[in-house]
Amino acid sequence: MHEASIGQSIVKTVLCEAEKQKAVKVESVEIEIGELTFLGQEQVEFWIKTGFESTIAESAKIIFKKIKAGIRCNKCGFQGNIRIKEDPQYHMMLPTFSCPKCGSSEVAIIRGKDAFIRRIQITQE
Amino acid sequence: MKKLFTEDGKSIEIKLNENLYGKNSELAEKNLEILNKQGIHAIDILGSIGSGKTSIIQQLVARLHTTFRTAVIAGDLTTTIDADRIKNRGAKVIQINTDGGCHLDANLVGRGLETLDLKSLDLILVENVGNLICPSSFPVGTHQRIVVVSTTEGPYMIVKHPYIFKDATVVVINKKDMAKAMELELDQFRKDALKIKPGIKVVYTNARTGEGIPELIEKLNISKE
Repeated sequence: MHEASIGQSIVKTVLCEAEKQKAVKVESVEIEIGELTFLGQEQVEFWIKTGFESTIAESAKIIFKKIKAGIRCNKCGFQGNIRIKEDPQYHMMLPTFSCPKCGSSEVAIIRGKDAFIRRIQITQE
Repeated sequence: MKKLFTEDGKSIEIKLNENLYGKNSELAEKNLEILNKQGIHAIDILGSIGSGKTSIIQQLVARLHTTFRTAVIAGDLTTTIDADRIKNRGAKVIQINTDGGCHLDANLVGRGLETLDLKSLDLILVENVGNLICPSSFPVGTHQRIVVVSTTEGPYMIVKHPYIFKDATVVVINKKDMAKAMELELDQFRKDALKIKPGIKVVYTNARTGEGIPELIEKLNISKE
């Protein structure tokens, strides 16, 4: 739901950096989106492209990567992906915020809550 | 930041590694630090519009304000309806409008904290914007999160919004008196919540009458620092 503000923030950061680097063209932008952010990739891309219109980033290739949600168990020390499985009752994919190894609910989310602008590729004069 | 020339030698690659939620996380930690320094316990209350967040807060304030010096930060898109409802219940209330924004963030709550006399407080209740999606990505720097769902929203509120429960300590199933009219099995809400977050505390309430509020207070386990 906040794809517009995230998209605008990406546009601002990329164009600021490009200007700082005296770029004449932004070739590509690489973005990573965490599984737990609820950001719709298609909507984020729409807002970035809208923001890039009539700028040096207009033809930039936008590359998206996904960050899998990860947890750390405070009880047994397990580190890995969270369990997401289909629930036959609802026919929905439901995540389980507990340790898949020992079942403890004392888990910390260590991956998947964030989104990053990893890198940009630019051409200078 | 790292600069690398790409193979064609013309374009350069710049590593930014900019976390788009980084600033919010930083500010949330700062808020928590400020609260801890003052020995204040803070609770973020989430739920969709009409689930009963404000009524739950009214009930909590009425029962808690004599033990804990309480303030409420009421978040809303544009109105002061909720803040007005909570006023005169024994807590200091401040209003934060997001001007249409779908969630409170750590910056807005931080600004709210600046307007409160923190030395004279033990407890702060934050009423987030009515939304079960966006607020989950924006921690505001509280010690606990309550998610309120109500029976009149239908049977699927928990399973349809599983990720809101990842940071929640307590789930409140409100309007328990309406379950029969809605032809719902109350226990299914508890089963759904436990399926997503084993160990999460579940309380059934009727915020109009106050039923279930003492159990909620017990589960929140608030103590004076």
